[in-house]
Amino acid sequence: MNSLPKASIKSLIISCLVSIVLAIVILLIAVLPAEFNIDPTGLGKKLGLTVLAQSADEAVKAAVISCPEEPKSTEGQTAAVAWPDSVMITVPAKKGLEYKFHVNKADKLEFIWKTDGAALYFDFHGEPQGDTTGYFKSFKESTQSESSGTLVAPFTGSHGWYWENKTNHAVIINLKTRGQYKIKGLM
Amino acid sequence: MILTKNSLFTLLLLVFSSSCFAHGVDSNTEHFLTTNEGSAIVPFLYIGAKHMITGYDHLLFLVGVIFFLFRTRDILIYVSLFTLGHSFTLLLGVLAQINMNVYLIDAVIAFSIIYKGFDNLHGFKLLLGKEPSTKIAVLIFGLFHGFGLATKLQDFDLPQENLISNMIAFNVGVEIGQCIALLFVLTLLGFWRRHKSYFAFARTSNTLLMTGGFVLLGYQLTGYFTSL
Repeated sequence: MNSLPKASIKSLIISCLVSIVLAIVILLIAVLPAEFNIDPTGLGKKLGLTVLAQSADEAVKAAVISCPEEPKSTEGQTAAVAWPDSVMITVPAKKGLEYKFHVNKADKLEFIWKTDGAALYFDFHGEPQGDTTGYFKSFKESTQSESSGTLVAPFTGSHGWYWENKTNHAVIINLKTRGQYKIKGLM
Repeated sequence: MILTKNSLFTLLLLVFSSSCFAHGVDSNTEHFLTTNEGSAIVPFLYIGAKHMITGYDHLLFLVGVIFFLFRTRDILIYVSLFTLGHSFTLLLGVLAQINMNVYLIDAVIAFSIIYKGFDNLHGFKLLLGKEPSTKIAVLIFGLFHGFGLATKLQDFDLPQENLISNMIAFNVGVEIGQCIALLFVLTLLGFWRRHKSYFAFARTSNTLLMTGGFVLLGYQLTGYFTSL
């Protein structure tokens, strides 16, 4: 058994060098850019591989852009007053995230949200403040591209949406709210 | 409808962190592992088998081990030694809650692939004049592979209840997966071995095996240093 043709120190060294060089090339060009966003040659970026390494975390942090104030036309002003809080939330492809508000019992949260096209699975729910049992109440669960309504909080606590994007591209949600609450934002 | 916070948390964990794991335990499995309570023999059997079949580092090492083994008896001996090694540390690691860095353990596993490729190229014979016992090497690397399996399972805070029966089920699953994977590898190698090209390409094959090991080693070490 164990028959290797012409085994010699020279061929051994060649084999070792070839495997190390090959591995370094694969690491530098493909693996490090795609897995860790480390791209010493710049080729990873050119090939589009570094996109893979941007973690969900970073994508989510970058995703919330507070909307600038509405344009200063009279119509715009009414719109801004009508919905004092407006936010664009980007849900990356194949990801889910939560956006929450703190609402006191019997206070109102009026909302209207709309995606830039695709329907998202969502669960609109509330968790009582200070609760440790893991209880939470779902108000609405569906897959839609828009939704609006008014929540009268059944208890004091954290209320908001879990959105899940099952599509292959990022979806942007424009969420507008008014009422008595404190924005907790992305969870 | 009432959901538990836990299930939503798991859902979030599932969508956010599936990319953090090197291999084997994917998001669905992870969802099951973190929500499972009590005994679940068949699911753990399945996860174990799947982990082995999709665990390319374990498979590359096995390919290296059986590359120059031609007799069924030899294959059985070496695979048994490997199994003995990884079963021991899998159970020990989980039961004694030995925590090791996933990247470092996987780096050792990557090293085991390089070692075996080098050995198949007669590296030790040529450099040292003799080959270290291949049986002992397989056993020792088996121990490390087992720690790798254990470390990955420990990441999920498995419930203590029925831990032992679930662990044994997972371990048996790993062996089933290993047998299935070996069956495929041996069938393919078996065909190739009838041709002269198997030996003509033996050096290339083992050089590529070492390449795979070096890539995995670089990947795991980078993972380790970036996670510090």
